[in-house]
Amino acid sequence: MMFNPVDIILSFVLLSVLFSFGADRVLTLIKLVGFQGVVVSIIPFFIGDHMSTGGTVFTLATLVIRGVIIPLSIFVAIRKGAIRRVVEPIVGYHASILCGLAVIIGTTYLSGRLDIGSVSGFKLLEPTAIALLATGMFLLMARRNAIAMVIGYIMMENGIYLVGSGLSVSTRHIVEFGILLDVLAGVMIMMIMAVILRNIKQTFDDVDTALLRTLKD
Amino acid sequence: MCQLFSSTCIILLGGFLSLFFARQKKFSKGIAVLFLSGGCLLGLIDAAGKLLDPAGAGASASFRYLDLFSLSFHVDGLAAFFLTAIFAVSLMAAIYSFHYMGNEENGIKTGVNYFFFSVLIAAMALVVTAANILTFMISWEIMSLSSFFLVIYSHESAENRKAGYLYFVFSHVGAMFILAAFGLIYGHTGNFDFASLADVPETVKILIFVFSFIGFGSKAGVFPFHVWLPHAHPAAPSHISAVMSGVMIKTGIYGILRIYAILDFHTPVFGYITLIAGVISGILGVVYALGQHDIKRLLAYHSVENIGIILIGLGVGMIGAATGNPLVAVLGFAGGILHVLNHSVFKSLLFMGAGMVLHQTGTRSIDALGGLLKGMKITGTTFIMGSLAICGLPPFNGFVSEFFIYMGSFKTIALGSSISFSMSVFAIISLAVIGGLALACFTKVVGVVFQGEPRTLAAENVKEKGWAMMVPMGLLAAACVIIGVFPKMFIHMALKAVQALGLDYGRVPVEPFGQISCNITFAALLFLVMALIIMGIRSTCYKNKTDKNTTSGTWGCGFSQPTVKMQYTGSSYAGSILAFFSAAAPLSEDHPPIKGRFPLKTHYHSHVNDIAELYMKNVVVRPVFYLFDKLRWMQHGDIHLYIGYILLAIVLLLFFI
Repeated sequence: MMFNPVDIILSFVLLSVLFSFGADRVLTLIKLVGFQGVVVSIIPFFIGDHMSTGGTVFTLATLVIRGVIIPLSIFVAIRKGAIRRVVEPIVGYHASILCGLAVIIGTTYLSGRLDIGSVSGFKLLEPTAIALLATGMFLLMARRNAIAMVIGYIMMENGIYLVGSGLSVSTRHIVEFGILLDVLAGVMIMMIMAVILRNIKQTFDDVDTALLRTLKD
Repeated sequence: MCQLFSSTCIILLGGFLSLFFARQKKFSKGIAVLFLSGGCLLGLIDAAGKLLDPAGAGASASFRYLDLFSLSFHVDGLAAFFLTAIFAVSLMAAIYSFHYMGNEENGIKTGVNYFFFSVLIAAMALVVTAANILTFMISWEIMSLSSFFLVIYSHESAENRKAGYLYFVFSHVGAMFILAAFGLIYGHTGNFDFASLADVPETVKILIFVFSFIGFGSKAGVFPFHVWLPHAHPAAPSHISAVMSGVMIKTGIYGILRIYAILDFHTPVFGYITLIAGVISGILGVVYALGQHDIKRLLAYHSVENIGIILIGLGVGMIGAATGNPLVAVLGFAGGILHVLNHSVFKSLLFMGAGMVLHQTGTRSIDALGGLLKGMKITGTTFIMGSLAICGLPPFNGFVSEFFIYMGSFKTIALGSSISFSMSVFAIISLAVIGGLALACFTKVVGVVFQGEPRTLAAENVKEKGWAMMVPMGLLAAACVIIGVFPKMFIHMALKAVQALGLDYGRVPVEPFGQISCNITFAALLFLVMALIIMGIRSTCYKNKTDKNTTSGTWGCGFSQPTVKMQYTGSSYAGSILAFFSAAAPLSEDHPPIKGRFPLKTHYHSHVNDIAELYMKNVVVRPVFYLFDKLRWMQHGDIHLYIGYILLAIVLLLFFI
C-alpha cells in the first residue's frame, strides 16, 4: 500500500472534522479551525509540480491568515466580548458525532462518483474537501452560538480552498486570496465590534442566533 | 454616432458632478442643469440633423463587453425621431428644473435627483438606439430603475412610496413579458441581433407580437396595464413627470414599432389588436381623466388617452400595410409617430404648467384652486395653448397628427374588406369621442383652475416666478404653434421614421404629404388671421364702451353677495358626463344627506374607480396574496433552517447540472 504525505495530513484533517462535530466549547472549535487552516494551506506545496514565487508568497500569506490571524481574532473577540463558551447545540453531541460519521462516509462515496478533474493520486483530497464543506454547513445549521456559526463558515471556506487547490486553474491563487480577504474582513469587523464597541453584547444581550426570530415581521 | 455618445457622456457627467458637489446646493444644481441641457442640445442637433438630412440616417457602433456579448447601437430614422423627442423634452425639463427644485431642499436629495435624471435621459437614448436584444434589455432596465428612483423622490410620504412600488412591480412584470418575447426570438434565430425573422413560424410571430405588446404596453400605459401611471406621475417632481409622461412612456411605443419592424410580418391581426387597444385606452383614459381631482393625475390619465390615439394611428397603419395599401399605411404610421412628438411637446408643457401651479400654491387639487390666470399670465396662457393642442384643435400641433390618423381611417373605409371597414368606422367614431371628451376635460381644468375666483386661501394672490420655469413653457407653447402651422418639416421627419420600418414599398411618396401639409398651413393661417380679425373687431367695437372702473367677481352675474362656493367645481362640471360612462367608470360618492331643520355639517367626496385597477386588485392581487399568505410558515425567522433551505436548494440544483 502506498502512502504519500498529502493523504497522511488529510487524514488528520478528517479526524479533526469528526472532533469538531463533538466539540462543545467554542475554544476547541477555534483550535480545530486553526489547525485545519494551517494544514489546508500547506497542501499546495505537496501537490503542485513546482511553485512560482508569486504562488509561494500567496500560499504563505494564506497560511498566516488562516492559521493565525483569523483564529486569534475570534479568540480575542470572545475574550473581550464576554461571549458564552458553549456552542449551544440544536442537535445533541452524540447525534452530531453520528452525523459526522455519516458525513465522512457519504463524502467518500460521493467523491468517487464526482468528476472534479483534480490531481489524481490523492485519495483523500476530495473527500476531505467535501467533508469540510458539509461540516461547516452542519455547524451553521446546528449550533446556536453565533461564534460557532462563524467558525462553521470559515470551515466551509477551508473546504472551498481545498477543492480549489486540487484544481489546476492558472488564476486560482488570486481568486482564493480574494475570497480569503473577504472572510478576513468579516472576522476583523466582528472582532472590532466585540472589542471596541461591544455591540453584539449590548444590542442583542446574547449571541444566541435563535433570537433573530424576533426580527421577523 | 460619436456625437450621440458624447452628448450622453456629457449628460451623465452632469449627473455625477451634481452628486459630487451635492453639499454646495446652488453650484450642484447649476452645474447639473448646464451639463444636462448642453448634452441634450448636442444630442438634439445631432438627431434632428440626421432626420433632416436627405441622404438618410444610419450609423452604427458596436462594443464587445467582457468577451461575452457585444453592446451594439444603431441609429436609423425611427431611432433618430425618438431621439429628437427625448432630447428636446429633456432639454426643456432640465432648464425648468433649475427653479423648480427649491433651494431649501436637502442638497443630497437634489444631487441624487439630478443623478438619476441624467441616467434616465442617457438610458432612454440608449434604449431607442440599441441594436441587439441584450443592449436593449440592459438599457431598458436602467431606464426603469432610474425612473423608479425619481418617482420616490419625495419618499417621506407613504403614498409616494406606494406609487413607486406599484411602478416597480408593473415595469418589471412588463419587462418579463418583453423578455419572454425576446426569448422566443432568440430561441428561433439563435442570435441576439434585431435581425429579420424571416424563418420564424407565423404563429410564433404572433406570440412574439402579443408578448411584446403587453410588455411595452405596460410601459406605455395601454389600458389595462396603465394602473401604475396615474399613481407614479403625480408622485414624481413635475419636470420628471414631464419627461416620464412626455417621452419615457413613448419608449413603449418605440418598442412596439421596433418589434413590428423586425417581425416583418404584415397581418391585419396586429392592426386589429393595436387599434382596439388604442380605442379602449383612448376613450377610458379621457373618461377617467374627467373624474380626477388631482391636476397631475388628470394629466397622467390624458397620457393614457394619447397613447390610445397613437395606437389607433399605428393600428390603421398596420391594417394598411397588411392590405397592401401604402398610402393608408404611411398615413397611419406617420400620424401615430408624429403624435408621439406632438404629445411629448404639449404634455410636457402641461405638466410644467401644473408644476408651476403646484410650486406656487402647494396644492394639486383642482377644486382648491381658481382664478390663477390673473396672477399667472404666462403659465395660464401657455397652459391654455397646451390644452387646445391636446384636444386636437387647429392651429396647434395635436390637430396635425390626429388629422393624419383621421385621413388614414377614412381611406381604410375604401379598402373594401368588411372588417377593416368596421374597424375604421370604429376608429373614426372613437377619435371623435376622444376629442370631444378631451375638450370637456380641459375646459374643466382651465375653467376651474385658471378662471373664476380663488376657492381657497392657497389660490389667492398667487404670482408666477422663476424665468427658468417660464422660458421652457414659452418655447414649448411656441413649438405647439409652429408644428401646427408649419408642419411640413415635421411631417418629413415622421416620414423618415416610417421609412425605417421597412414596409417594402421602397421610397415613401412624399408629394401627397407635401400637399397635405401645405393645406394645413393654409387653413391654420386662415384660422389665425380670422381669430386676429375677430379680436381686432372686438376691441374696436368695445372701445370706450365699458366702464373701466367697475370691477366685479368672475361669474358674479350682478349678484351683490357672490361667494366662491357658488362656482362650478370640477366634480360638478364633469358629473353629467361621468354619469353617462358609469358602466366603465363607476363613481363612488361619500355624501351624508342633509336631514332635519337644523342639519349637521355635511361633506361631499367623490372618487372615480378605475375598473382596471379594481379588477386587477380583485382578480390578480387578492388571490396572489391569499396564496402567499398560506406560505408564511416558511418564513419562521429561524436562521438555522434558512441555511437549511439554502443547502436544500443547492443540492436540488446539483441534480440539474
